[in-house]
Amino acid sequence: MTLRLMQGSEAVADAAILAGCRFFAGYPMLPFTELLEQMSRKLPTAGGVCINAETEIEAVNMALGAAATGARSATGSCGQGIALMQEAVAECALNELPVVFFNMARGQQDYFQCTRGGGWGDYRTITLAPKDIPEAVEHTQLLFHLADQYRTPVILLGDYVIAHTHVGVDVQRREYGPLPAKEWALDGSMSGTGQAREIWTWARGKPNTPGPGPNVHWQDLAEKYRAIDAAEARWEADVPEGTEVVVVSFGTTAAFVDYVVEDLRAEGVPIGSFRPVTLWPFPGEALAEATAGCRRILVYELNAGQMVDDVRIHAADRRAIRSIGGVSQDSSGMRQGDLLDADVLRTRIMQAIEEGD
Amino acid sequence: MSVRRGEREVLFTGVGGQGIQICSRTLATAATDEGRYAMLSARYAGGMRGGMTNAEVTVGIAPLRALPVASSAWSAFAMSAEHWETIRPRLRPSAVIVFNSSLMEAPGGVDDAQPFGVPASDMAAELGNPMTASFVLLGGFAALTGIVTIAGLVAAMRRLIPAYRTEHLAANEMAIVAGADAVPELAAPAWSAAETAGSGAEPAGSPVEPVRQA
Repeated sequence: MTLRLMQGSEAVADAAILAGCRFFAGYPMLPFTELLEQMSRKLPTAGGVCINAETEIEAVNMALGAAATGARSATGSCGQGIALMQEAVAECALNELPVVFFNMARGQQDYFQCTRGGGWGDYRTITLAPKDIPEAVEHTQLLFHLADQYRTPVILLGDYVIAHTHVGVDVQRREYGPLPAKEWALDGSMSGTGQAREIWTWARGKPNTPGPGPNVHWQDLAEKYRAIDAAEARWEADVPEGTEVVVVSFGTTAAFVDYVVEDLRAEGVPIGSFRPVTLWPFPGEALAEATAGCRRILVYELNAGQMVDDVRIHAADRRAIRSIGGVSQDSSGMRQGDLLDADVLRTRIMQAIEEGD
Repeated sequence: MSVRRGEREVLFTGVGGQGIQICSRTLATAATDEGRYAMLSARYAGGMRGGMTNAEVTVGIAPLRALPVASSAWSAFAMSAEHWETIRPRLRPSAVIVFNSSLMEAPGGVDDAQPFGVPASDMAAELGNPMTASFVLLGGFAALTGIVTIAGLVAAMRRLIPAYRTEHLAANEMAIVAGADAVPELAAPAWSAAETAGSGAEPAGSPVEPVRQA
């Protein structure tokens, strides 16, 4: 294995191209900008197209159009730009278009945005939150597969740390098995036959070939999202026998939790960790199992309390939950602040353990 | 605080335009190419000229356990004093502090610190290329600590400088070598001989995209 020192954005770009991404559009916004730069540098030589759009709204609708032709297509921004894109995210979900979204967030405050829909209508977005750059490389490739498998928009939730850190990486192609042919794609193959395909949100169809209509279509979609919820939850649980305290975190903060938990356990503290790898579907049953019998469930997220809602829904004992994170931005506003620190986390864990019930 | 044996953290500080970003990337690239494990986290905001520009590089002789934000650090690379306080609290006792003595006094506030001043700005000016001051300091840092070789630094710098800046390659190389020659070799070694015995992977050359200079 040859490690090459790469910025996370470059590693993700390489992973996207290895996964077959051939269309990318975006508008620069830190810390997403470097991913757009890397795609603009690399995609043309891979036979693809990268467009620096006029705004996020143009970018996402270009990505939607490219996905409709059957191409593997992606866009991205930070949470602020993804907010602008929400109408198109909803359309991708209701049209059933597989677009990959890269949210290189300015912190950890986009959990709700990624996991609760965000536009109109009944849908969810599969969201993977890597804890480091090698995992972002893996998740990027998995997301292109899941998007096609389910014909749905999906999100990689990264951050400044994932996007901007340089580390030695070996980007390798990963295989996730065969997928059905895109017989729905508007690829021009049916032109002039009178049987031209349609991508539809309302499913009304054409006068000569009426569709099932919104009621049936949206019921079908609801069933699809229930199936994804049942099948695609992923998590990482490190909860050995005798664990009394479980720390729950996602994304970059989970790497800090791993580090501190390893130290504390070596010192004899009966502590473990749980991480939703998919933020949606949230691995609720796994969390319930991991936290069964625990005295404390400590939620470490750098926001005012978002994932903690899902933890409250699923934890074995809601009374054991304590939030030990909080809002924390550095002076630039582009990344997490002083709470993203192993020593600070360790102190907060110990305080939460030692306080009375 | 927990410290992984064999991992050496370097906190870089300066003001925008002094070369902190290119130097930190040169160090991390050289370390990776020499079979070490390296991680680089850059910190800068809108102030490309005159604002804070920091970076941290961790180099290990084994796969890193380090996090992208180091709670504490083994050494400092200071081009100027303006933002020294943003890194000082994280320096461990006995930290190796390599500083640009043309622009700052030996910084205080670190117990049992090992300060090494290199008049990097003056030396760069004498060499006829004031812009290369940070490479003078980087050459000094590498020679003092042995964290990477001087040849490795020069090779990494040559790959990182973009094609439209190749006129600076010779001056940068001269600066690195001059800085290395100006300090006592291995006065503050990063690792003991016992630590590094048999640790190095095969040096792996690899293409690197040129860094964009502001």
